[in-house]
Amino acid sequence: MKLTTKQLTLCGILTTLALALSVAENQIPLSLAIPIPGIKLGLANIVTVFALYVLGPAQAVLILLARCLLGAVFAGNMNALLFSLMGGFAAMGVMILLSRLRGLSVYGVSIGGAAAHNCGQIAAAVLSLGNTAPLYYLPILLGVSLLTGALTGLMAACLFRALAHTDLMKG
Amino acid sequence: MNSSPKLRPGLWDALVVLVVAALAVGCAWTVWGGQDRGTELTAVVSVDGVETERLPLREAAGTERTIQAGGYTLRLRLTETEVWVESADCPTQDCVHTGHISRGGQSIVCLPARVIIQLEGGESVDTGVDAVIG
Repeated sequence: MKLTTKQLTLCGILTTLALALSVAENQIPLSLAIPIPGIKLGLANIVTVFALYVLGPAQAVLILLARCLLGAVFAGNMNALLFSLMGGFAAMGVMILLSRLRGLSVYGVSIGGAAAHNCGQIAAAVLSLGNTAPLYYLPILLGVSLLTGALTGLMAACLFRALAHTDLMKG
Repeated sequence: MNSSPKLRPGLWDALVVLVVAALAVGCAWTVWGGQDRGTELTAVVSVDGVETERLPLREAAGTERTIQAGGYTLRLRLTETEVWVESADCPTQDCVHTGHISRGGQSIVCLPARVIIQLEGGESVDTGVDAVIG
């Protein structure tokens, strides 16, 4: 894949932004309200949705991969890599498919991505622990993904509106 | 720009919401509904995917267990009806925040220590949704 300097720069900035959002959301103690391992708002998903529409699937996947690898290195927890990769790629796959459907808005794409992310993470937990007990949390996580997906969809929609007049959105 | 996104939610988005909600309900039905009722409530401790201890609550009531795994230590408390992790030195503390579990199928998961404490059996009680959200 050949990237222009502008695309490469944008990929770098978006990766940084996704990492910063991941760190920021770790400060929001959502797990105190809903005590489930790995539960989070998924703010970095805003970057994925944005990259998917503005840069296309290939570069969005590159950003996701860089975010997962660097995130695990920064957290010093390579065990978390399996979780973020499986969650991230499940979400990416579903969002690439959904974004091709003309009738869907960023809300639908984002909610589908959030649900897939949780399925991917539960699958990682089942694989990692060698036990199906984490499946117990899946219904709750799917329910929560309706809210978190709508929230990240709203933020992505605001971002697209705010940037509508820029060169970025005109290609 | 590859394709311009639609920014207002529409009927198709509602369909995605319905599909996810249906999946959640279907999952709940399958995962929460199929518990083995009518047998003695037992806490099953697994470390690294391998069952290490079975603790029938009737016998283990009032006791405390220390589970050491993955370099972390969990202090487990048991009563006749409930199990909870009193304290742990893992970084996430999700197992402590999970709080008390009391029904068959419920579990406490500690990912850093790779420990699962799962309840099996129990009297036939309501299988309604946990009051976790809200």
